[in-house]
Amino acid sequence: MTDKTSAPQTSKGGRLAVRAGAVRLIPYELTAPALIFVTVMLMLPLFLMLRLSFLRYDAIQMYVEVFTLDNYIKFFKDEFYQSVLWRTLWISAVTTVLCLIGGIGVAYYMARTRSRILQRYLIIAIVLPLFMGNVARTAGWIIILNDGGVANYLLQTFGLTGEPLRLLYTSGAVITGLTSVLLPYMIVTLNSVMHNVDISLEEASLNLGASALTTFRRIVLPLMAPGIFAGSVLCFILSMNAYATPILIGGPKFYMMAPTIYSQMSASMNWPFGSALAFILIGLTMILTIASSVIFNRSSRSSLVR
Amino acid sequence: MKTARKINPLNWAYLGWVWLVILFVLMPLATTVWTAFFSNKILSLPPEGYTAAWFLQAWNLADFRNGFFLSLQVAAGAAALALVVGVPAALAIARNKFRGAELINTILMSPLMIPAIVSGSAIYLFYIEVQIWSEVPLAATFHGLTLAHSLIAIPWVLRLLVASLSGMNPSIEEASLSLGASRTTTFFRITLPLIRPGITAGALFGFIGSFGDLEKSLLLVGPGRITLPIAMVNYLQYRTDPTIMAVATIQILIVAAALIISDRYVRLGRTF
Repeated sequence: MTDKTSAPQTSKGGRLAVRAGAVRLIPYELTAPALIFVTVMLMLPLFLMLRLSFLRYDAIQMYVEVFTLDNYIKFFKDEFYQSVLWRTLWISAVTTVLCLIGGIGVAYYMARTRSRILQRYLIIAIVLPLFMGNVARTAGWIIILNDGGVANYLLQTFGLTGEPLRLLYTSGAVITGLTSVLLPYMIVTLNSVMHNVDISLEEASLNLGASALTTFRRIVLPLMAPGIFAGSVLCFILSMNAYATPILIGGPKFYMMAPTIYSQMSASMNWPFGSALAFILIGLTMILTIASSVIFNRSSRSSLVR
Repeated sequence: MKTARKINPLNWAYLGWVWLVILFVLMPLATTVWTAFFSNKILSLPPEGYTAAWFLQAWNLADFRNGFFLSLQVAAGAAALALVVGVPAALAIARNKFRGAELINTILMSPLMIPAIVSGSAIYLFYIEVQIWSEVPLAATFHGLTLAHSLIAIPWVLRLLVASLSGMNPSIEEASLSLGASRTTTFFRITLPLIRPGITAGALFGFIGSFGDLEKSLLLVGPGRITLPIAMVNYLQYRTDPTIMAVATIQILIVAAALIISDRYVRLGRTF
């Protein structure tokens, strides 16, 4: 999602700077306000939090200035918190795969449709839920999955079930909600790489006798690979960080990392442990992202050699 | 190519799958709007009848009404602040190749990647520290909330502006300069009008992003002064009725309007 915008115009900007020195803007002075703002408002607070995660918890003062690894050790000793992390991981993995399966088709369709109306309004329809805010988007799913909701009504009308099924507050419901919330991110990311997939390559493949499926698998998919990777990473990160969907669709007893961190901060008032959980989440997400990008780069390089 | 695909039953499976996914994405929004008009107080199907009374009911609940105005003010402030720091940064990043540009871009986009619940708590912690040192109250104040929300808006301003700058032809500015206009004149008479669509879209997206935010605000709002998404979550955790669906419907309409307006300035199909 971010890659698309940065790459091309740096080269264009570079050319501009050489050609017309007069238009050249002073980059460091211009970026300084934003950089200072983000550093003070985000990096500094995160640093304070990291420090807090190494301080000892105290029931009265909240924390005392004593260095300790207890907060991290507590996580590795307590099976409950590990199970929360595992649940977050597998739900994020399943959600990412589902987003990919759903997103590829839509992104391809959006890029290849001839209809001008669809070209213009399909992207709005997809971006609309993206900006809806997690709460408004999730509210619809509650109505659908409720005991007396749309899904149960349809199931009962068609005689598929006598008693209303318990759909809300299950991991299936959370995955459904997350997939629906994150699919637009995947589609938008894939859509941005589809601009680079030249339609004549597909036509050539089809003219040379390859089936549509083979063409898709051998031509389109490899060309979409960077977008598939970027979109998957994005969906995975956002699903690891998800808060609103798990608490609303999963209910108060469905524990994922972000809600658990928040309840440590607000209900338990154990900030040092909450901070440790936060950095375990950020750290693990970062490690997985970096590892997958290393694997992705290596495999795409080796496929080029081949 | 088209004819080769049309005779294939696979094509029908493909189209069916595509539209099913689109339906899946839009279904919750459609359901929300639909149920907002149900006349039965407890949401169940089939509806007993239809009414628009819930919109009035939602307006009469102080949490929703005040939350709406608070969210509106915070989002406007956040978008404005993000423009002030974001526009120069976007100009610099889009126009120059310089050392550390990639790093600076990553830092400025990072608010999107850090779990909002974590950054919200970290900012709360930071505000408390600031308050201890300087006695300037930031936690649970409007200003503190707005400052934190501009973190949500900055990546959007940057992203949309950089995208719109990259589509701009630099020779127009060069012409202005070579015809003797000063740099300041060129900036205000040429550059600014050209990037205005990007600025408008960036501000709108920043506004929408801040307006819908739940996680960052949870710890930062003051008692009795909660934002609209927080009011909605508080309500939803206990009941699901047409009133809350009416609130969500209003939000859907506002965002849809904002998107259609931005689409006029910056073709969304090309931005995303």
